[in-house]
Amino acid sequence: MNAVARAAKAVAGGIGVVWGAATLAFFALHLVPGDTADILMGTQALTSPQVHRRITAELGLDEPLWSQYLRFLGHLMHGDLGRSYQLRQPVWTLLGQNAWPTVSLGLAALVLALVVGTASAIATAGRRPAWRAAASAWELTAVSTPSFWLGILLLTVFSFRLHWFPVAGRNGITALVLPAGTLGLPLAGTIAQVVRESLETTLHQPFMTTARARGLGGMALRLRHALRHGASSLLTLTGLLFGSIVGGAVLVENVFGRPGLGSLTVSAVTNKDMPVVTGLVLVSATAFVLVSGVVALLQPRVDPRLRQRVSA
Amino acid sequence: MIRRYVLAAALLLPATLIVAVPDLLYHRSPTAVDLADALRPPSGAHWFGTDQLGRDVLARVLHGAAPSWSLGLGATVFALAGGILLGLLAALAGRVADHLLLRATDLLLSLPPLLLALLAVTVLGTGRTNVMLAVAIAFIPVYARMVRSEVLAVRRSGYVEAAVGLGVPRVVLALRHVVPNTLGPLSVLGTIGFGSAILYGSGLSFLGLGARPPAPEWGAMLSEGRSFLASAWWVGVFPGLAITVSVLAVTVLGRQFRVHLTGRENR
Amino acid sequence: MRYRNARRLAGLSLALGILATACSATASPTGEEATPVSGGTLTVALATQPGCMDSQVSQQGVTNTINRNVLDSLVSQDGSGGYHPWLAASWDISPDLTRYTFHLRHDVTFTDGTAFDAEAVKTNFARIVAPATRSQFAAGLLGPYAGTDVVDRYTVAVRFTKPFAPFLAAAATPNLGFYSPKALAERGGELCGGGPAAVGTGPFTFTSFGKGQGAVLTRNPAYRWAPATAAHPGPAYLDEIDFRFLPEESVRVGTLTSGQVDVALAVPPSNIATLRDTPSVRILQRDVPGSGYNLYLNTAIAPLDDQRVRNAVQRATDLDADVRTVFFGQYNRAWSPLSPSTVGYDKAAEHSWPFDPGMADHLLDSAGWTGRDGAGYRTRNGVRLTIDWPALPADYTTNGNATLAQAVQADLKQVGIELTRTPYDIGTYLRKIHAGQLAAADAGWSATDPDLLRLFFNSADDPAHGGQNVTRFDDPELDAWTSAAAATLDPARRSDLYRKVQARVLELGLVVPLYTPSTVVGTGSRVQGIGFDAAAQPAFFDAWVAG
Repeated sequence: MNAVARAAKAVAGGIGVVWGAATLAFFALHLVPGDTADILMGTQALTSPQVHRRITAELGLDEPLWSQYLRFLGHLMHGDLGRSYQLRQPVWTLLGQNAWPTVSLGLAALVLALVVGTASAIATAGRRPAWRAAASAWELTAVSTPSFWLGILLLTVFSFRLHWFPVAGRNGITALVLPAGTLGLPLAGTIAQVVRESLETTLHQPFMTTARARGLGGMALRLRHALRHGASSLLTLTGLLFGSIVGGAVLVENVFGRPGLGSLTVSAVTNKDMPVVTGLVLVSATAFVLVSGVVALLQPRVDPRLRQRVSA
Repeated sequence: MIRRYVLAAALLLPATLIVAVPDLLYHRSPTAVDLADALRPPSGAHWFGTDQLGRDVLARVLHGAAPSWSLGLGATVFALAGGILLGLLAALAGRVADHLLLRATDLLLSLPPLLLALLAVTVLGTGRTNVMLAVAIAFIPVYARMVRSEVLAVRRSGYVEAAVGLGVPRVVLALRHVVPNTLGPLSVLGTIGFGSAILYGSGLSFLGLGARPPAPEWGAMLSEGRSFLASAWWVGVFPGLAITVSVLAVTVLGRQFRVHLTGRENR
Repeated sequence: MRYRNARRLAGLSLALGILATACSATASPTGEEATPVSGGTLTVALATQPGCMDSQVSQQGVTNTINRNVLDSLVSQDGSGGYHPWLAASWDISPDLTRYTFHLRHDVTFTDGTAFDAEAVKTNFARIVAPATRSQFAAGLLGPYAGTDVVDRYTVAVRFTKPFAPFLAAAATPNLGFYSPKALAERGGELCGGGPAAVGTGPFTFTSFGKGQGAVLTRNPAYRWAPATAAHPGPAYLDEIDFRFLPEESVRVGTLTSGQVDVALAVPPSNIATLRDTPSVRILQRDVPGSGYNLYLNTAIAPLDDQRVRNAVQRATDLDADVRTVFFGQYNRAWSPLSPSTVGYDKAAEHSWPFDPGMADHLLDSAGWTGRDGAGYRTRNGVRLTIDWPALPADYTTNGNATLAQAVQADLKQVGIELTRTPYDIGTYLRKIHAGQLAAADAGWSATDPDLLRLFFNSADDPAHGGQNVTRFDDPELDAWTSAAAATLDPARRSDLYRKVQARVLELGLVVPLYTPSTVVGTGSRVQGIGFDAAAQPAFFDAWVAG
């Protein structure tokens, strides 16, 4: 199979996944109990049955399910995600407004997790048991704590008591510190454990002894290998990290009152806002497909086992 | 190594006892309302203090163990069962089925577990069983992938190939050789999944989609208590600690399992 | 962007009669006599992320809190039910209350430079009732609306098919405020997204609305038509109001005490007492007029079809203790389905149904619920005395209300009634309530006109027909009284009719009034002049910041 065919197959597979995810969301939301027009008008609506029927007709909800699905697919082909039932704005506008806050939060959390996780691993791999125990303790605690709870604790201490960081607002990067910490610390815990383990394995390889014999210092060795393992563990953990960040963003954005796709998600799902949910699912699936594609390309380049042969 | 098992067991044994018999040592009702005794700090009478309706927080934490643990356990068991079934099908049922199932799990993996759980719980409705199922659905694709790759690894191993050569039917092969070999890694994944399931359950409770009061459940208690953090920290902190400690204990156990199975021991 | 909490406070802050921003801010509630200074930005933490920012569509209180500063109304209402000129300099009402004629001010312009005139009124009202608008709330406020006639450029007549006494109260709300017809024609489709598309005549212009970044309003320097209910004429003092959305209670309080915001709305009851003792924070509080927060009982579903059981539920509930504990002594328990600050509130309802478990026991005994089962609940013919009060999804209620329900549950258990709370998703809940299948339903509703009682107790106003009457009690007297009161403006007659309605629904056990919510606003010490409108919504027109 040549490169072009492989690429075409990968693209086709990616499109298939995205299409499947949108279809899944479409039918799942139709299974959500209750009448969409009812939910749209809310608990305190003062609307007559006539208005109600008209809304249902305007949204096309009185058509058979298959024809609604075909219409949905037709619009999708043209890149039209429709308008939110609740917010009455084009879904693309909503996604556009909310994408950057979530992406910047996710990236900040990822960077923090990588730095903290790798640092913890480098500092403790192969060291005295007491060090490793201490590192393990914080890592496991971070992994085992509900993120919304961690967020509220961080806020209480660092924002309300110590006044170091603001909760939210247009204060730029400082407003990102606590949410990114909340989202990133549990990931840092996971990364630290994975990196430490592969680092410890590596430290006992014969080529390390060779390297030391060649006069490479302990710290330099650690750093070099840790970075390599950090990159490789990041790649193997892609799926997990992606899910944790996007899922975690839902909770973190709710705690911090931050805008973003996460806080958009909860209300859209519970209020049966079909266009928004399908839009979110499409974005999430597309992002996942792209990220996995990039990882598949990078993996052979970064995989330490491939590099080890060279350095040994 | 034995020491760590002992440690994890030392944490888990009393916890299991609490789940089974919450009244064993502490005999207060988790639902008895006493307005005159609301929001009392921890004391001899109420070790963990009282909540907004004067209910004993320790009693609620103890009684909340069963629903929280059963959520974690139930979700893990369901997800494992679903994952094993799908994974086996994928690995053993031939190329077309494998391809389709792989795509299906790809599709589910492309959605963050929390989004899947959210969708599932909205479709199924709130309530403890439904939250458990929703969390299970969110975890199935991860397990299915895992099982499939384990199965493929086992199948490629010499003795299975030999068995195939001897003409042993596929199903028999699967049940007799492949499944037992995948159980080890799965039990490891299960212990980790158990912790995650509890965390996801509490997350759903935080979003208002979890268990409903007055039944005690850690996630819901934590969610209720977060508003009183400044004035009455004990309402939220103790259920929060209960979650962290449970997840921690099970995770440590899972790591030990893994060390045991892979034969790799970190000093 | 979130609207998870969209309707969390809807019950409290929705207004059948929200008042002018400017209204009733006359006396600084803080009692200070300092001279206001112009300038500065006020940062306000809101509890709810608005969904749709169009006041003519949305039913959310938070939308009104923001839009009141952008949209003006025909009239303004004061705290005691009086009406004052605003965009209308004067008005005449036909004797049969079917035609309201407004004589508009001639000097009012929208912030896009176009003039406010009779056509603008007609265009806006026509938009509200147009089915394509899908108005959740404003269309209901227009009641039996028939049409609007442009009499001349500055005279406009609003017609109704039936006598409609509550119209002035409705006309004072931001929901019936006015957008520039030019802006409506050009960018009407964008109004739900807020921001510059929303052009009004108000003291502020809507500069930006980034979902989640918050809403930014900028002073309208040309403003000179503040209503008589405002404390000062001319433009607003503040250069800018910066609204942020912080739904998490502890976060909102924390940002206030740490000085990250100037004003925090919806201060949780658990923090009020502490904040009152905090020197850097001031607490402003105002009871919300309307129906308070009540539990309505469905008389068509056993065992609540028996009046004795309904009365027993009222008597067995120890509201004094429950409300004091759950809301930390900050809210008052309710006695009537109208809250005390509402016009027409019947003071005689107070103490008319005190906590009396003995009487509840007696009522239940006489209703035949004499047996007891193993769990201590009453039984009749082997059937347990169970009432289901379905729980709304968390998005649609508050933590406090959910906790109060648990306290009521414990009270009722004392007399042997099992109160269950089935959790429904919102779709199922609405379907069941429209079909009259919920045994009990809780609701809060803020309004300045007692016509609200018609919405909850007139048999024509069942939920399937756009009303809120879940009691399914068909009573000729209640129907006659609530209809008659909507057809008169005579205060004495209205007050007599509404007194009778309140007494009767309590006697029949159609409702268990629970508590009177109040708007609690926390401000930093440099903030002055924040007031409340007639619907107890915070008003920013007279607000200013020192230093």
